[in-house]
Amino acid sequence: MSKTMIQITDLHKSFGDLEVLRGVNLNIAEKEVVVIIGPSGSGKSTLLRCINYLEEPTGGSIVIDGIPLTGEANINEIRKEVGMVFQRFNLFPHMTVLQNLMLAPMKVRGIAKDEAEQTARTYLKKVGLEDKANSYPEQLSGGQQQRVAIARALCMKPKALLFDEPTSALDPEMVNEVLDVMKELANEGMTMAVVTHEMGFAREVGDRVVFVDGGVIQEEGTPEEIFQHAKCERTKSFLSKIL
Amino acid sequence: MDLNFDLMARSFPLLLAGAGITVEITAMSVTLGLCIGCLVGIARLCSVKPLRYLANVYVDFIRGTPLLVQIFLVYFALPGLTGSRVDPYFAAISACSINSGAYIAEIFRAGIQSIDKGQMEAGRSLGMSWSQTMRYIIMPQAFKRIIPPLGNEFIAMLKDSSLVSVIGFEELTRRGQLIIARTYASFEIWMAVAIIYLIMTFAVARLVGVLERRYDTK
Repeated sequence: MSKTMIQITDLHKSFGDLEVLRGVNLNIAEKEVVVIIGPSGSGKSTLLRCINYLEEPTGGSIVIDGIPLTGEANINEIRKEVGMVFQRFNLFPHMTVLQNLMLAPMKVRGIAKDEAEQTARTYLKKVGLEDKANSYPEQLSGGQQQRVAIARALCMKPKALLFDEPTSALDPEMVNEVLDVMKELANEGMTMAVVTHEMGFAREVGDRVVFVDGGVIQEEGTPEEIFQHAKCERTKSFLSKIL
Repeated sequence: MDLNFDLMARSFPLLLAGAGITVEITAMSVTLGLCIGCLVGIARLCSVKPLRYLANVYVDFIRGTPLLVQIFLVYFALPGLTGSRVDPYFAAISACSINSGAYIAEIFRAGIQSIDKGQMEAGRSLGMSWSQTMRYIIMPQAFKRIIPPLGNEFIAMLKDSSLVSVIGFEELTRRGQLIIARTYASFEIWMAVAIIYLIMTFAVARLVGVLERRYDTK
């Protein structure tokens, strides 16, 4: 595999007395798609949020593209390069779709308005919503909002994208339109870490599947290894419940 | 009882001029209060402890003491410290805006806290700083939500500004007092004063309603 994009070593995270992550080691290579699965409360979302420093790790290290994450000191630099897509979309409701996409590139990267708009329109087209540029988020369906959120992350031209249960808040009929966009990104070589319950997506798109339970990685491997030949009992019992 | 409508009518221009001054000090106090309140409201939420502590002390002190006493403090007690007389206009505006600032700080704090946490996270995850996210994402949304309570604060200040009459500042209430001192027509003049206050607060309430609707429908 090529160079390591995200390197997580012995990551710990506690909320008060509750230890959510208990020593996670995970490397994600450039252009790799890692799907993180596991029961709710297992710490998989926390893991993803730690990578973006939305949760402050209590121990361990995170290195993004060779740069160690040192907290508030360089977090904005890191976040520029690592996009995040949330379960609840978190679009900015007081701005049009186009403004949602243009804000960060202009304010963070200092890109001129014309160029930002051009980039925004390119990515809107990519997610199939070029006709919604002037709509407000509330006028869009859940699936459309999530596609806008993905386009918004892409406008920063990130080196990696984190997806935190991107389809969990969607009506069933809208799940596929979002997964299709994610599939396309994966095929184009975007480095992705995806927390999801969509096992079909994990199997089809994931280069590697990571099973998290009890705050540690219980097992990891190719989709085939995990879904057909799981070795760990916990993995087997989890998969038997959801497949 | 004979009502002297003629006197009421003749007093109206004088009272209206006083009402103009009432509107002026209210507008100035609430505007200054907005600036104070915005900063203090944010300070109450920020992670810098001394700043938060100071903001808390300010809000607690102002909310825990009567505006009338605050006016006295500025007008009568302050000269004791500085040694020079305080101008009534300055005393009125500063007491009212410092008072208003504390209430508006609470309005801002509640408004900011009512914005979904995901908004801050989304802004930060795009690489924007805390202050950029505050400025471009949180505050514009919070501002929309705080229009109704800000309207209430404006109306409250419009009425409470009558308290500055006690330091001889000639706004609407003081004008009324002065006219009564000459004419002894308490009932007519106080009725007229009350009606003018009512018209002003009613107008503000309607204006706030219009603003609310404008910002609500995109």
